[in-house]
Amino acid sequence: MTGDAIRAALVRRLRLTSNISEDDIKEIEALPISVRQFPAEMPVVRDGERATDCCLIADGFCVRSKTIANGKRQILSIHIPGEIPDLMSLFLHVMDHELSTLTPSTLGFISHETLQKLHRRAPNIAEMFWRDTLIDAAMFREWIVNVGQRPAPSRLAHVMIELRERLRIIGRVDGDHFEMPMTQEQIGEALGITAVHANRVIKQLRQEGILEFHRGRVTVLDERKFLELADFDDRYLHQSPTL
Amino acid sequence: MPRFHFDIHENGRFIPDEHGQDFVNVEGARKEAVLTGASIARDAFVAGSAHQVVVDVRKEGSPCMTISITLAVEPA
Repeated sequence: MTGDAIRAALVRRLRLTSNISEDDIKEIEALPISVRQFPAEMPVVRDGERATDCCLIADGFCVRSKTIANGKRQILSIHIPGEIPDLMSLFLHVMDHELSTLTPSTLGFISHETLQKLHRRAPNIAEMFWRDTLIDAAMFREWIVNVGQRPAPSRLAHVMIELRERLRIIGRVDGDHFEMPMTQEQIGEALGITAVHANRVIKQLRQEGILEFHRGRVTVLDERKFLELADFDDRYLHQSPTL
Repeated sequence: MPRFHFDIHENGRFIPDEHGQDFVNVEGARKEAVLTGASIARDAFVAGSAHQVVVDVRKEGSPCMTISITLAVEPA
């Protein structure tokens, strides 16, 4: 994948979620980006590492996570193409969590220096990125509520619908199907339950005719029940710039 | 590392574990079984869908231990 294709993933998302101007798109299209391929389940930036670049996902799925002393890992968020999941490292230089790939991924690295210059030159882009990090925070709030208050089947449905609504923006929802390339163990880590409990929840949702999850792909069988179970209100995703 | 499977019985409803996971020792598998049973029980007991959750642990396919969690509600 070329640098152009990588920038296109970001531009596509910004066109849909912000009021980006053509001049600002030209700025982004001119950004120097170094492209690297990562295998699945590979750290991109480790907890405690000093980051010098921000990473734009061109292709693949990534997660942010934190591992505690006993080795248990909590997945904090799932990231999809067109997103810059470590934008905060521009100001918070030492990582307080890990960014890693879920699937083989194509990542574009933009140096902090380049981004700082861009922000000074194009304050509208700085504001857009600032807004992005605020939406990240809104998603973290929603995940705290999810893990802290909902029963496990609702937790799974909520995380799935959030992912679907974000994939929809980048044209990656195919009718009733969408990708969620996670193992049962990883789903457990996102929901704060064990892999075996995650397996049980997935089976329950299939038995109740709500959805099927097979090899990292979700098929929604009953949209109404799915939404009801998830207790989902997309307001926190702030996907439209006019809202 | 040995492979452990965790089969679940919820009020007699059987949910087999086809995947299994590796743990360094039986103690690691015991912790996983208790965590699993307690978290399933938390949802099921509140929802009222079960009053007993049993986790049957198999080590390399053979029975290893059983963890049973039962809800007892006694009206005063």
